[in-house]
Amino acid sequence: MLEIKNLQAGVEGKPILKGIDLSVKKGEVHAVMGPNGSGKSTLANVIAGREDYEVTGGSITLDSKDLLEMEPEERAQSGVFMAFQYPVEIPGVSNTYFLRAALNAKRKANGEEEIDAMSFLSHIREKVKMLGLSDDMLSRSVNEGFSGGEKKRNEIFQMAVLEPTLCVLDETDSGLDIDALKTVADGVNALRSPDRAFVVVTHYQRLLNYIIPDFVHILMDGKIVKSGGKELALELEEKGYGWLEQEFAGKN
Amino acid sequence: MANELLPRYDVELSTLLAHGESLVGSGPDWLRALRQKGIDTHREFGVPTPKNEEWKYTPLRPLTTLDLKSSEPGPAVFGIDLQWNEGADKVLVVNGRLDRNQLEVTKSDGLTIKSLRDAINENGDLVKKHLGLIAKQESHTFAALNTAIFEDGVFLHLAKGATIERPIEIVHVTNGDGQCVAPRVLIVAEEGAIAKIVETYLTDGEGTNLVLPVTEVYAATGTNVEHVRVQDESESTYSAALWAIKQEGGSEYRSYNVAFGGAIARTDQEFWLGGEHIVTRLDGVVVASGKQHIDNHTRLDHAKPNCNSFEVYKQIVDDEGTVVFNGKIFVYKDAQKTDAVQNNAALLLSPKATIDSKPQLEIFADDVKCTHGATVGRLEDTPLFYLRSRGISKEQAEGILVYAFAAEVLELITMDSVRDRLEARLFEKLSV
Repeated sequence: MLEIKNLQAGVEGKPILKGIDLSVKKGEVHAVMGPNGSGKSTLANVIAGREDYEVTGGSITLDSKDLLEMEPEERAQSGVFMAFQYPVEIPGVSNTYFLRAALNAKRKANGEEEIDAMSFLSHIREKVKMLGLSDDMLSRSVNEGFSGGEKKRNEIFQMAVLEPTLCVLDETDSGLDIDALKTVADGVNALRSPDRAFVVVTHYQRLLNYIIPDFVHILMDGKIVKSGGKELALELEEKGYGWLEQEFAGKN
Repeated sequence: MANELLPRYDVELSTLLAHGESLVGSGPDWLRALRQKGIDTHREFGVPTPKNEEWKYTPLRPLTTLDLKSSEPGPAVFGIDLQWNEGADKVLVVNGRLDRNQLEVTKSDGLTIKSLRDAINENGDLVKKHLGLIAKQESHTFAALNTAIFEDGVFLHLAKGATIERPIEIVHVTNGDGQCVAPRVLIVAEEGAIAKIVETYLTDGEGTNLVLPVTEVYAATGTNVEHVRVQDESESTYSAALWAIKQEGGSEYRSYNVAFGGAIARTDQEFWLGGEHIVTRLDGVVVASGKQHIDNHTRLDHAKPNCNSFEVYKQIVDDEGTVVFNGKIFVYKDAQKTDAVQNNAALLLSPKATIDSKPQLEIFADDVKCTHGATVGRLEDTPLFYLRSRGISKEQAEGILVYAFAAEVLELITMDSVRDRLEARLFEKLSV
């Protein structure tokens, strides 16, 4: 489904990703772990199409479509969703208005009719219930005055409403206490399905106690230096990144 | 009387002043004196050049080329939608004259709405107490001219304790060409009165006119008034307005200055906070596009202790538009515990858009909280990317963000139908 080959990208001429290869199939959950500055967030943002990053080589395809050729909105319309590390506050725009605009843009791009107000409301109410959120989140301005936990939950809520096929979670666990972390993880788990894939970018292993990955990749200095199963995350937790840094340094 | 020290254009709006002279010939003595003072003041100040500090950023030269005559009565039927809101009391003013046949006011205890001309005859003492005394015309050359030549206008009186739930809507229409129109509104809210008022300024036809509105508001102790003023005149209209408010202790007055229209549109809004525990809101939403020049000057006089004022201006400038903001706040020596917040933000949507912003705080008391901030920016990449990453097109995302910028102020308007109409108009204006 998602194929990343020899991806190289940077910002203002400074290389950050130095040849990433990653293959993700439908229904799989891949964790991408790495120390600060390793390029994890860059990878997530390049998949979503953030223009601050310049792609200098390699390819990303989603269901054989060239993602790098697409605008961010076209990627979203094709099924990509990134949960932001720092969700953006947009005062003056209600969550409901925002989600309806997003959902309709996606439907229009896929040749479907715009959703009518009643069906939209029952669609979002269902998701609110599924994720155990409170209704007042709907009428509030997008992320305005939300706590850290609320912002992250709102990302998962948007994901639930837009029903993407590829979900990229950019350090969704950062800044969350254990209760908020569990709520967010429960939301993600509720959205797991055989048709949907996840790329979970995180610094810490603790999120992976709740979102159990099928694969774990370790990113260091812009390259994937080790891949394995969920046990790799535990090993990393025990030994720290220093262990891999030494091993990695030894290889070069 | 001409003062050689005042920088002014070498023109005199003599037809207009002659008309003023003829009006001085009739009416009660106090009114004749008021008009004479208006003539004298306008003679002294004339049409100011940019060398006059108060008019530094307002290019009035185009006014000097207009051959202006005094206004004529206009028609009763128009080619434009007057945008009445459902359920509101309706007051139509055409070329400065209240149309008595189209006055629709639901009879309510304590509410009087009538032609200003009638009020001068029938409620002389009341009008005399406030007219021309709230708007300090000594320093406003165009307000002085209005006083000299206004034909009629609106008198809105709320008796002690009157509570009017529905919006009271005043629509001013200018129709014709080459005229100087002087709309005049006097609003008097007696003790404890509650009301919501909307004034809208529109143009019918393609004519080039000069409109010089003066609105005076007296808000007595314990009153609660919401007042929206919408400037949506044609882009061949020149406008210089004075909107003056006098608040007594314990009153709450919330004003929203919505400026979309005009070739050159200057509005001066002045507040006299003459008692304690006053709450004042003076917010603005400005959209200038094409070659429009929209200019707002606000002045707040915190004269007494324990008053709060909040001022938020949201200004959107597109194409080759220019927006000017000047916000003065004076905190008098006696006005301890003043809490004044001023915030003006501008969003520039094109490389040729201009904003001149000048906050001006003068504080003579030592125990006060006064904050001000001015920001000028373009649409930010991060929120734009956030919206696009959810599938919303770049164009729509930009529209949503610009709208949201202004909505922060429009949302504060409690008259639903007015707010909805303004939001729709904002969208329309931005998508041109």
